[in-house]
Amino acid sequence: MMQRREPETVIQEHADIDERIYHVRLDSGLSVAVLPRPGFTKTYATYATHYGSIDNAFKVPGTNQSVTVPDGIAHFLEHKMFEKEGGGDVFDDFGRYGASSNAYTDYVSTTFLFSTTSYLHENLDILLDFVQRPYFTEENVAKEKGIIEQEIRMYLDMPGDRLHSNLMKALYHRNPVRLDVTGSVESIRTIRPEDLYVCYRTFYHPSNMHVFVTGDVDADRVIDQVAEAQARRAAQPQQPIERLYPPEPLDVRESRVEHRMQVAAPLFMMGFKDEPNHFTGQELLRREIVGALMWNGLVGRSSAFFAQLYEQGLINNRFQAHYTAGLTYGFSVLGGETPEPERLEAVLRDALGTLPISRQDLERQKRRELGEYVGLFQSIEELAYVHNHLVFRGSSLFDIPDLIRSIRIEDLEEFRARHMSPSQTAVSVIVPA
Amino acid sequence: MAQSAAGVGGHFEHGRGWYCYPTKRFKTLSVYAYWLNPLMPGKASQGALVPQILRRASQSWDSTMLVERRLEELYGASFRAEVGKIGDQQLLSFQFDGVNGRFLPGRPDMLAEGLNFVQEMMYRPRMVDGRFDAEIFAQEKVLLRRQIQALINDKGQYALNRLVEVLADGQRFGINRLGTLEEAEQLTLEGVWQTYAELQKRRPLVWFVVGDVDPEAVQRAFAAASEMAEPQESLATMTTFRPRDQARTVIDHQPVQQGKVNLGYATGITAKDPDYPALVMYVGILGGFPHSKLFMNVREKASLAYYAYARLDAVLGLMMVGAGIEFGDFDAALDIIHQQVELMRQGAISDDEMQFTLSGLTNEIRAENDSPGRIVGRQLERLLVGGGPSGPELIEALSKVTKEDVVRVAQQIRLDATYFLTTDQAGESVGAAQ
Repeated sequence: MMQRREPETVIQEHADIDERIYHVRLDSGLSVAVLPRPGFTKTYATYATHYGSIDNAFKVPGTNQSVTVPDGIAHFLEHKMFEKEGGGDVFDDFGRYGASSNAYTDYVSTTFLFSTTSYLHENLDILLDFVQRPYFTEENVAKEKGIIEQEIRMYLDMPGDRLHSNLMKALYHRNPVRLDVTGSVESIRTIRPEDLYVCYRTFYHPSNMHVFVTGDVDADRVIDQVAEAQARRAAQPQQPIERLYPPEPLDVRESRVEHRMQVAAPLFMMGFKDEPNHFTGQELLRREIVGALMWNGLVGRSSAFFAQLYEQGLINNRFQAHYTAGLTYGFSVLGGETPEPERLEAVLRDALGTLPISRQDLERQKRRELGEYVGLFQSIEELAYVHNHLVFRGSSLFDIPDLIRSIRIEDLEEFRARHMSPSQTAVSVIVPA
Repeated sequence: MAQSAAGVGGHFEHGRGWYCYPTKRFKTLSVYAYWLNPLMPGKASQGALVPQILRRASQSWDSTMLVERRLEELYGASFRAEVGKIGDQQLLSFQFDGVNGRFLPGRPDMLAEGLNFVQEMMYRPRMVDGRFDAEIFAQEKVLLRRQIQALINDKGQYALNRLVEVLADGQRFGINRLGTLEEAEQLTLEGVWQTYAELQKRRPLVWFVVGDVDPEAVQRAFAAASEMAEPQESLATMTTFRPRDQARTVIDHQPVQQGKVNLGYATGITAKDPDYPALVMYVGILGGFPHSKLFMNVREKASLAYYAYARLDAVLGLMMVGAGIEFGDFDAALDIIHQQVELMRQGAISDDEMQFTLSGLTNEIRAENDSPGRIVGRQLERLLVGGGPSGPELIEALSKVTKEDVVRVAQQIRLDATYFLTTDQAGESVGAAQ
């Protein structure tokens, strides 16, 4: 149910679970959302830009100039935003007011955040301010390379991370979703301050960004504060950003990749990539839900197939499958530890296309999804994560329950029929060294 | 209206009890039960296998598939049965989280469902010939063995486990929560069944309920529960970690891309000691936050690491410092860490460091109230240590800590062991990235 509170603020309400969300788009182009959670001690605020690891080629707004930047630069930029002109870093500013701050980068977005149990006003001002103040020098960029190199090396030692990373490189020829979000040790070494400024100016414009606040807060006051901070900044209007993504062939780049590492037993992951499409908004969200319902119905813990694989010792209870999509990509991954990757692969290839999913299975899965949706409101961090995930895909958290209810068994079958072609499937294996 | 730690009702005596934390904040109901099983050499794998078996099937839902379907029917309630470790105890946990019936069609009584589910899984396992189902036992035995072998997969955790082993040097808190490969291979159905019988008969048992519930309904439920009728062994209070004072350095070589340096320090202070608040401040100033000495000096100034932290095991009175570094930077990182520890001993602590750390800790302690898992964890820790301040009381105590108090604590902290996980490639300092 939608209602208008004042000229610009839209309130979306979900009465069954007693939740509402306030949305507004400010003159600067910045969109803001507030979801009050009365009774919570902590307030969690995020300031995110629609700019992630896949945005490594684009036209500089207002020009016709195309640029390609080093892999991993969005994540590098995220790190560098914490640096302040004149020394010191933003962690200290939050530290002064007792907030815990952090940031993360994924394929499609970069998110800065804090959580606090006091001084919301002061901490929110710090967040709104520092994300708008770049300060990059030769020296502070060089210093960050050592730190990020250690971050990358930490991931290189994580077998699950390698497994997924290798799979993405096998599934995709050119779509930058194939690259690690952090880039590589080599690619980040080439990053210069001027590269960071180009990316910053292109993607950190308010019209490409979103502020979200949740906790025991007064929505009007939060929105007013953000609006005042934006008014002080007076950003110039910006032309729409043109992102350049290379065309992606339908088939996979490699159908099987193996990597040796010191692990106790092999790790196995199978991936399925979507054919190129342009899903967005509710259609995209619906597709993500269909994917979740299908995988849980087929190989979820309550399925007969899971029981069969588990009892044969082919998988353990960390085996999982899920589908994820953005505006330029969509893929499923499934897998886990297994003593016999070849046999598991053969069994999966043989069964996945034809395993039955009954209407009862679907009804149970829908119940489960609905319950998990309500459970989201338990953790304000998770709530913010899902909210932001959806914002840059053009949908909203509150769309979820109706979409779940609308899904029929035919939707799952249609999804399966188009998603599981062998030429769109790849396998990644980590074998013990 | 904020609930504090004082909002926890319930009691624990004669080795069993329950606590209830009623709050309208959450849309879910959490029902958690824990058995505390002393870690014993040669026995840990037996305890570890019990929750793994119990999770599989019960008398009402006699296959894993039916257990999972039951949870889905309860609107995707989750249930975890697993083994953890706290101090020198193995923690066998059974945790149910379900959406409060108020927010669901038909308004199911999720408190009753949760209590019933956990009791069913703990006390009414699927049985064949008066014992656990032998097939389930055999399957879970294989999986436990693989899980122990897979401990080398997670390098960060592996390095920490090795440090704790070195520090313990034979003391019980050094035993891995899963036991050893040899133990796991020798497990018998009869042995694990006996362990299960012993858990029910003797081991301390504690329940927690968190959510929008009527405490009286919880009380009635536990008054009627048969497992609450018989006294259990009382819970032995933990004593602080006693270092062997060997100041050992242990280095392991493996095919890794990053070195992990971990140091263990004896503090001599646990949560119920008067100096505990000063110790918490000390650890926070040294390495609890991005403004802390380790983060600022190891990461921000020297650019040696992505992470660098100090953390406290309040049950053992043990402080651990860790960082992920380049193999060749071992000495440089140690120099900085030792220097920062020494500076604190000499009193080089700024007003900002005191103030930021107090604010950061206050934030963390207050935020515990927003997570059922952390509300329960806090209470469990207090139970083991035999008291000590928490919640608002701890915040109050922290705010009274002076710089002199922190320095006094700093002067009694002793390094006991240094552990380094590094490359097995001779002469390698920078590995090739893929």
